[in-house]
Amino acid sequence: MNLRIALIGAGTMGTVHGNALRNVRGASVTAVCDLDGGKAASVAAAHGARVFTDAGALYGAGGFDAVDVCLPTYLHREAALRALEGGMHVFCEKPLALDLAGGGEILRAAARKGRTLSVGQVVRWFPAYRRAVQAVGENRIGTPKLIRTARTGAFPSWGWQDWYGDMRKSGGVLTDLAIHDFDWIRHAFGEVARVYARRLATADDAHGDHCLVLLRLRNGAMAHVEGSWAFPAGTLFGSSFEVIGTAGQIEYDSRDRSPIRRSIADGEAGRFSLESPVCPDQEPYAAELQDFVDSVRESRAPGVPASEALESLKISLAAAESARTGRPVVLEGDAA
Amino acid sequence: MRVGIIGFEHMHATSYASALRRIPGVELAGIAEADEFRGTQMAARFSTRHFRDPRDLLDTDIQGVVVCTSNVGHRDAVIEAAERGRHVLVEKPFATRAEDAEAMLSACGKHGVNLMTAFPLRFNQSVIQAKRTVEAGGIGEIRCITGVNHGKIPSGWFLDKARSGGGAVLDHTVHVADLMRWFTGSEPTAVYAESGELIHGRGIDDCGLLHVEFDNGVFATIDTSWAHHDNYPIWPEVYLRLVGTRGVLTVDAFRQTFRLFAPKDGAVSDVYWGSDGDLGLVREFVSSMREGRKPHPDGKDGERAMAVALAAYRSSETHGKEAV
Repeated sequence: MNLRIALIGAGTMGTVHGNALRNVRGASVTAVCDLDGGKAASVAAAHGARVFTDAGALYGAGGFDAVDVCLPTYLHREAALRALEGGMHVFCEKPLALDLAGGGEILRAAARKGRTLSVGQVVRWFPAYRRAVQAVGENRIGTPKLIRTARTGAFPSWGWQDWYGDMRKSGGVLTDLAIHDFDWIRHAFGEVARVYARRLATADDAHGDHCLVLLRLRNGAMAHVEGSWAFPAGTLFGSSFEVIGTAGQIEYDSRDRSPIRRSIADGEAGRFSLESPVCPDQEPYAAELQDFVDSVRESRAPGVPASEALESLKISLAAAESARTGRPVVLEGDAA
Repeated sequence: MRVGIIGFEHMHATSYASALRRIPGVELAGIAEADEFRGTQMAARFSTRHFRDPRDLLDTDIQGVVVCTSNVGHRDAVIEAAERGRHVLVEKPFATRAEDAEAMLSACGKHGVNLMTAFPLRFNQSVIQAKRTVEAGGIGEIRCITGVNHGKIPSGWFLDKARSGGGAVLDHTVHVADLMRWFTGSEPTAVYAESGELIHGRGIDDCGLLHVEFDNGVFATIDTSWAHHDNYPIWPEVYLRLVGTRGVLTVDAFRQTFRLFAPKDGAVSDVYWGSDGDLGLVREFVSSMREGRKPHPDGKDGERAMAVALAAYRSSETHGKEAV
């Protein structure tokens, strides 16, 4: 059986998913829904999918078994619940929700309806991050003890109605950006016991947010996570990680490891770009969606079950609480 | 100008001795070292006299001394020098306990001698340039800072808490804390830290992550670790990333390198060719004596940076924020 997918939200992430789904086997995109019909049509074209501009019409027409939620974060809960209640399997962009109540509600709906629910914690599927975890698994660096990650760039000013800049809609860098690294760290290196964080964003305004987060893992390892939207517009985005173990260490910085470096004529100043292309076999968005499709078709748990995404969200929320109160937040279990 | 060195326990002593000999008009008048073998060896290497007892060196006509004993030895050496009216350059960390630091500062104050702390990063050309850029408003107002000082694990007395006063947290925090005070012009007020013996199993803290608050509202983290393994291509790694209201600046103090591959011993090394911070440091010590002015960084700078590390040790125990 071919899994028929309705893609909801044809903005930045919807476009990325639309492209990735062209390389996913066992599935077809049959509908694309976006308030902006032009955007929906441009994502739908490659798939021969139908175009919708409101969810009512989409669900009225039917003809799909799964929904890929690529909406801004604050709309995840409503969209995921509607899909699950309608009996659809759901793949939801990260973060699953803005708070534990919303996330828990989505999880319970999936359980009640017996539907697959996976979340786009895509960094787990990035080739460099996967290969690093594999090297650690091969015991190349002994036991991981000190981990540093950074994910930094300019504020995403392209968001629809500037939703990234609204704390109540995006949660700022802790739930939107650093959650990638929280998820990677807890998935690859162990659960988090204690969190201490500071950030630049205020209660309402997430523009220029920047976070510095210390994590203590239950196994005694510790981590430093840096996430930033505080770089000036036009700055090249970059991510880095460093894992130091008892017998060796790994370090990676996307800005130092990009095979294509281009100088571009652009007025007096010029511009510079970095590219690190990945082949379709390694493309992380295709990989996470392929896993989701396979998990539905094989009736198995997905690679990133929503319960895990919720655990990662807990770290983001604990960091937000710590930044607000100025005190460390103990997650659960005995601290190291 | 005649300058002596007390203690060759800290390996930086050899670098300071070389620097002293490179400054015109300065004579390395002698070294005091209790270890007879090391003392005579170093005296021969630097063509100077060896004294077993530091008081004998201090009783000669030197104007200043560089103190490179183990960390716990700083207190007595500095106070003895001050009592004899000798200016002092003391290796970092300034001291290992708040009461020792207080005694050192008050002795030097009472006897009117200069007290300088060895923070060579203040004389690193890349750091100096970054400071100038920030001062000129190149990134607007500083809002937060990420600081890293990673290195390999040292040996000998560094691993003996009774002589070092602490491991990586004390050894490395002070460099970065000092730079942050210097860049922000603000005092650290509180520290939260996670630290411990994580990597090497040598019986002393080898990793630390600090969150530091400054009184002007800036917050910062310091990664103070001896976490690097033996074949890491460079020692140390130091960088600051300053997030400002109008830009972000990262300065990597030891990035001016080339890569060297030596198949015979399997080594891949990043060979540093940048400025010599130790030379700049010693030059400032000598200039301050010649010009009859206070040195920068001074003893108070050393004491404040040490206080950040000591607060980090307390926080690692309490898992709460500790006042500096």
